[in-house]
Amino acid sequence: MKTIYKKELARIFKDKKMIFSVFFLPVLLMVGIMALVGSLSKSEMEKIQEHKSIVYMINQPDSFAQFMEAADFNISVKDIATDAEFENAKTKLRDGDADLIIEFPDNFDQVIASYQEGQDVPQIKTYYNPSEDYSSSAYETISTQGLEAYRQILLSQRIGDLNGIQIFTVNTDNPDMVVQDDQKASGKALGMMLPYFITILLFAGAMGLGVDMVAGEKERGTMASLLVTQVKRKSIVLGKVFALMTLSGISSVIYIVVMGVSFPKILGGDSGLNFEVTVEQIVMIGVLLVAIAFLYSSIIVLISVFAKDTKEASTYITPAYMVVLVIGLMTMFTTKDAGTMEYMIPFYNTALALKGILVNEVTMAQYGITLGVTLVLGAVLTVAIAKAFESEKVMNM
Amino acid sequence: MDQVVEINIQGLSKVYKLNKKQMQESHTKNPKKTAVDDLSLTARQGEIYGLLGPNGAGKTTTLRCIATIIKPTAGQVYVNGHEVQKEPEEVRKCIGFLTSDIKLDPQFSVDYMFDFFGELRGLPRQKIKERKKELFDYFQIGDFAHKKIKELSTGMKQKAAIAVSLVHDPEIIIFDEPTNGLDIITARSVTDYLRKLRDDGKLVIVSTHIMSEAEKLCDRIGIIIDGKKTAEGTLKELLEATGAGDLEDAFFEYYKAAKGEA
Repeated sequence: MKTIYKKELARIFKDKKMIFSVFFLPVLLMVGIMALVGSLSKSEMEKIQEHKSIVYMINQPDSFAQFMEAADFNISVKDIATDAEFENAKTKLRDGDADLIIEFPDNFDQVIASYQEGQDVPQIKTYYNPSEDYSSSAYETISTQGLEAYRQILLSQRIGDLNGIQIFTVNTDNPDMVVQDDQKASGKALGMMLPYFITILLFAGAMGLGVDMVAGEKERGTMASLLVTQVKRKSIVLGKVFALMTLSGISSVIYIVVMGVSFPKILGGDSGLNFEVTVEQIVMIGVLLVAIAFLYSSIIVLISVFAKDTKEASTYITPAYMVVLVIGLMTMFTTKDAGTMEYMIPFYNTALALKGILVNEVTMAQYGITLGVTLVLGAVLTVAIAKAFESEKVMNM
Repeated sequence: MDQVVEINIQGLSKVYKLNKKQMQESHTKNPKKTAVDDLSLTARQGEIYGLLGPNGAGKTTTLRCIATIIKPTAGQVYVNGHEVQKEPEEVRKCIGFLTSDIKLDPQFSVDYMFDFFGELRGLPRQKIKERKKELFDYFQIGDFAHKKIKELSTGMKQKAAIAVSLVHDPEIIIFDEPTNGLDIITARSVTDYLRKLRDDGKLVIVSTHIMSEAEKLCDRIGIIIDGKKTAEGTLKELLEATGAGDLEDAFFEYYKAAKGEA
């Protein structure tokens, strides 16, 4: 077993190209994509902020014109006088050449000034195009926020002291309003993401390698050379599963470290997570990860054994990957505390336990069950693989 | 070892189940294909036994059954007294098996593969070193030992595969078409080495469809046609029995007889 294990690792570590493509290329790609997405969205935001909104106005009252000037919005105003111009402006809005249309009623200022209690209040209509970023942004800043501020000004002109109608405020001056355990909150955020990342990293990392290790060997005819030696089938299987575990483990550690270092930088500043992990948590997570890596590796090897070639193996593995991923993701949407029975469900329990460890909510018994179920399932699959190795049909002999 | 070095096959049959595609390909409606049909033979220490037959006659299937790669449908195969289905690991310990379907990992060097299989065979480091020197010297592998298998020519690959299959100095050597695809010089060095192994007291069993090779190399020949053993004996015995001038003519006598019967 040791010899097989060593050889499988040597296959990767003796080849610089393999080391690069297995361990570093995916990380570089991920970091590159994240950086690209980050910088693109940042520059897009800047562009929107710099953009001078083109706003068409119908019956713009003087008070609003003054307000806009005072508020210093970055806009260019065009007045509309006729229905034809209005239709034209709408077309421009649809085409993305205009950002917002604001329609005031006739003589808005006079209607406001001469308002008597019980009269209908005038309505301001705004038109925008939500599928255009510039238009959405103009709607948000001018129609929603700007008009609200404008209303407050008119209101204070009419009432005088606004406090008279405000009665009370909620949390206008209460910086301590959030009372929570920061540790647990961050743990919860991390606990939602971690199972997802762990699955992606461990499974995806092992997928390509596992397929090559078994289906690839069958395809190349090199598996038979192992099968004619006196080495027990079980040893060949375990050597391969453990090698796969190690490789996917190493690749996910590299992934996590690189992501941990580069993520906050890419996203610009603090990620908002305020978190300290205890040694106990690290050990618990570490041991669980080894068990998960064992289970995933055995799944991948099992599928690869039954596939005729690498192509077929890849085809079979993708749905398995999806299933494992979805089961792991389900914990993201469960709010109630999981009962001990739920820790019996494979895949689901590992995600639960990872989350539980981070928020300090998993009991030792639940952790033990998770570990046990994962290892037993991995072992059962490994035995199944060894049985499959005995079959000449499965091994393409 | 106190046991006799011997391969003893008793009533071996191997029947394959064909899937629909395979049935279409071989133009048959019978879902079963008999590759080896009630075959018995005994090969002993110190001889080169040749299985001679046309393509598809069942030579390779027979050798694969001996090497425990596939399981017989019926009959028993004993290798040094160990039955292939009951004690496959014991059988594998004492054989070296080489066929064109079994390949060395192209990613690795000949050197690494030799050490790897030495370790798998449970040999101590010193023994691996000695065997490596002997086999690499004989097959002149030293010049390309450090090269990856994928960089080697067909002849070099075959030499490397032979060396690796013999790393544990097996008592029984099973080679399926050992000179297939080799140039005349490499082929000669392989057949010479098989003779040397026989002279060292090993049992060598080979399959071939090349008459001249069987004539020159094999001490005894078993002719297989359609999975059945139709004749067995030394070259002299086969020639005498058929009255033929050479093995090729003798083979055709048997072939005609077998096909005529069918």
